[in-house]
Amino acid sequence: MRVTQSMLTNNMLKNLSQSYSRLDKYQDQLSTGKKINRPSDDPVVAMKGMNYRTDLTEIEQYQRNLSEAYNWMENTDSAYDKGTSALQRIRELVVQASNDTYEGDQRRLIAVEIKELTDHLESIANTKVGNKYIFNGSDTTSAPVNLDDINLPIENLDPDATGFVVTYQGNEYLHSGGFTFKNGTDIIEITDPAGTPSATLEGTPIEIKDLIVSKQSAVPTDVQEVKIELSKGVNIVVNSNPTNSFNATFFSDLKEIISKLENSSSGEEISDSLDTIDNHLTNITSERAVMGARYNRVELIEDRLGTQEVIANKMLSNNEDADIERVITDLKIQESIHRAALGVGARIVQPSLLDFLR
Amino acid sequence: MRSTFHGLETARRGMTTQQSALYVTGHNISNANTPGYSRQRVNFEQTESYPAPSMNSPMMPGQLGTGVQAGSIERVREDFLDKQYRNENSKTGYWSSRSEALEKMEEIMNEPSDSGLSITLDRFWQSLQDLSVQPEDPGARSVVLERGRAVAETFNFLSDSLTAIQNDFKDQINITVDHANSLSRQINNINKQISEIEPHGYLPNDLYDERDRLIDELSEIVDIKVTRLQSGGTPNKSAEGIFKVEMVDKTGNPIGDLVTANELAGKPGVIDGNSMGSIPLAIQNPTDPTAIQNFDTTTGLVKSISLGGTEISIDSFNTNGKLRSLIDSYGYMENGKEVGLYPEMLSELDLLAKSFAEAFNSQHKAGHDLSGNVGGNFFFDDGTEIDAKNIKLDPTITKETIAAAVTDKPGDGENALLLANVKDNLTINNVKTSVNAYYEGVIGDMAVNSQEATRLSANSGVLRDSVEQRRQSVSAVSIDEEMTNMIKFQHAYNASARNITIIDEMLDTIINGLGVGGR
Repeated sequence: MRVTQSMLTNNMLKNLSQSYSRLDKYQDQLSTGKKINRPSDDPVVAMKGMNYRTDLTEIEQYQRNLSEAYNWMENTDSAYDKGTSALQRIRELVVQASNDTYEGDQRRLIAVEIKELTDHLESIANTKVGNKYIFNGSDTTSAPVNLDDINLPIENLDPDATGFVVTYQGNEYLHSGGFTFKNGTDIIEITDPAGTPSATLEGTPIEIKDLIVSKQSAVPTDVQEVKIELSKGVNIVVNSNPTNSFNATFFSDLKEIISKLENSSSGEEISDSLDTIDNHLTNITSERAVMGARYNRVELIEDRLGTQEVIANKMLSNNEDADIERVITDLKIQESIHRAALGVGARIVQPSLLDFLR
Repeated sequence: MRSTFHGLETARRGMTTQQSALYVTGHNISNANTPGYSRQRVNFEQTESYPAPSMNSPMMPGQLGTGVQAGSIERVREDFLDKQYRNENSKTGYWSSRSEALEKMEEIMNEPSDSGLSITLDRFWQSLQDLSVQPEDPGARSVVLERGRAVAETFNFLSDSLTAIQNDFKDQINITVDHANSLSRQINNINKQISEIEPHGYLPNDLYDERDRLIDELSEIVDIKVTRLQSGGTPNKSAEGIFKVEMVDKTGNPIGDLVTANELAGKPGVIDGNSMGSIPLAIQNPTDPTAIQNFDTTTGLVKSISLGGTEISIDSFNTNGKLRSLIDSYGYMENGKEVGLYPEMLSELDLLAKSFAEAFNSQHKAGHDLSGNVGGNFFFDDGTEIDAKNIKLDPTITKETIAAAVTDKPGDGENALLLANVKDNLTINNVKTSVNAYYEGVIGDMAVNSQEATRLSANSGVLRDSVEQRRQSVSAVSIDEEMTNMIKFQHAYNASARNITIIDEMLDTIINGLGVGGR
């Protein structure tokens, strides 16, 4: 084949430009740390990369949700813890007061302390985390408990019972027109609340004194669960059902105890209240137990998310990060090739026959 | 009997012919770097020997040579390589233009990255997750609003950028058509000049070179086929004649003439001088409604191209070359459907924007806002179809009216969670998919297309270059060779001159030395 100078120069330029483009590729890889710069460099890597990025974002988000879940659960638990101590102190005081050696004045002093503790329990029920009341279901912007509007005289229902709620044997009956109150399908009907009141539950007469009348805004009525997604499709309930613990019965029972102490009831009558206090303690403890079991589950999820994050990061990195040692080696090789190309080009292009003709 | 002065003429012929050869060498050296130039050489021919056989020819011991003449000056070139080159050049033109178009698209889509549509959708999802955890928090609500806006604006940006580039292609199509027309006009002009020179027996080598260069250039734009027709008069045997240039499709079937030249009736292979001309390609929207409309009136995409007054459908215009690739990128109508790289990507984005926005709106309407009211539209929807270009937030949506709750309680974030999951439960074209999976598919298709175009562009480039290499091997000027020739011709010239001196001395002997005996 006949080879001419212009072929040599053209080839040299072409090869040098190819060499530059390879150097450019390695430079890109080194300065971005990525194997690919555009999807067409490797479509599979690009698509996987998008996928892994989304996975990673999801895991990071679930971890963020996790801290909010912990926030709810830990605050709920600690509120219950404080509530239990307060209730135990009340129990001690009641035991103390049930001694008939205590006189009316002494019992009244004890009542003062129990009153303070009740107020304390009210504030525990109204615990606010961030901007939210945690013991009011999903109605997080209004306070669940208002002690003053619990256990009101029944004549308050007259003439309009709207906005009131009636508690009977621990169940709450919401107002549903007239003097009718409803819990699921069960209906309590009250007649003549202002005069001589009487009440029936599903037609069966019940004692008026067993009914606790409160304003709906003063007791927790929202039983909706607050759920947080902690993994794809895994929604964990992070609140405790407030109607099981800080409910109307709870506070009206405490009020009852105070009034017993203030009104010089007999020691026997006072010690009857111990059973109710024990009941409430059990309620709170069982709510705590439920919360604790769930907390353990959240911890397991956290563990798993941690592992998933590491794996997702590793996949992302394996998929698209450049193998730096390799790139540097390739770069070095390419550099020497480039130098050789330049050197050989410079030598070939220069001389022609002209240099040797005299 | 030969003439006494015979030797002088023989030597003179030697001198002039060597001199011509030296001048041609000079021409070669001057044009060593001229694009498209093929080296030329003088065809040395012996002149007729003496005596010529005839009745009255003198009897001599043998025929005596009478020297040399420059028979013709010819360029050194191989047609077959030209043909191969043009074939590969069309392919390179097609694939490199396509690869450029896809590269631009990749740059706009910008995936995978930390700023593309995919990550914007992920961030929107994140903000909805945050909202589901803290539904009553005004901060979380504002973030949802802003990230939702970012999703809409990213769709707008992608759509606008793609449309802008697409319109650039339209301009480029027009420019390319103009370029092709200018090339055919120039080829036709050169054809005419050649047809005026060749009948006299000359070889217009430099015009041949120029014509070949223009045809090379034209071959990058469309697939062409070149047919030769002989000039009239008495052309040289090496004359190349007149070129008829036809546009052909990928299988080699002619589509139409670009540069016309027809045979003379009754004289096969010979040019009819009146038939020479060039036919313009056109692809434009004439204001005259009766004229050929090359663009679809509703979509604005290419429908056909015109050659002279004839409309050629895109289906028949199935050629390699840059023009077809630009039309493929810009988009054309096929059986009433929009086809092409950019229109297809745009319609994928439109479909994605529409499906996502509609699914999101319907989930949003199922929820309740902060004040317990039923949610409205999140993305603006007035009944006209939502697409990537017009997607935006509903003007009435505020951070308070985001429907995060299933019930009417402010602390309920369940609908926010359902909204977040909209992107994973999408139905596009009756197929259940997720936004990310679908978009990944779109990007994957683009990436594979682009990779193919880049590879084929490189491959056809390599083939074209190797043909060019061989062509150069035949036609390019080698300085060393020219130097050697120069010395060769110089020596021959000098020797011829010396020959004259010797003959001169010989004649001196005859004229001044003879017949002076006894002086």
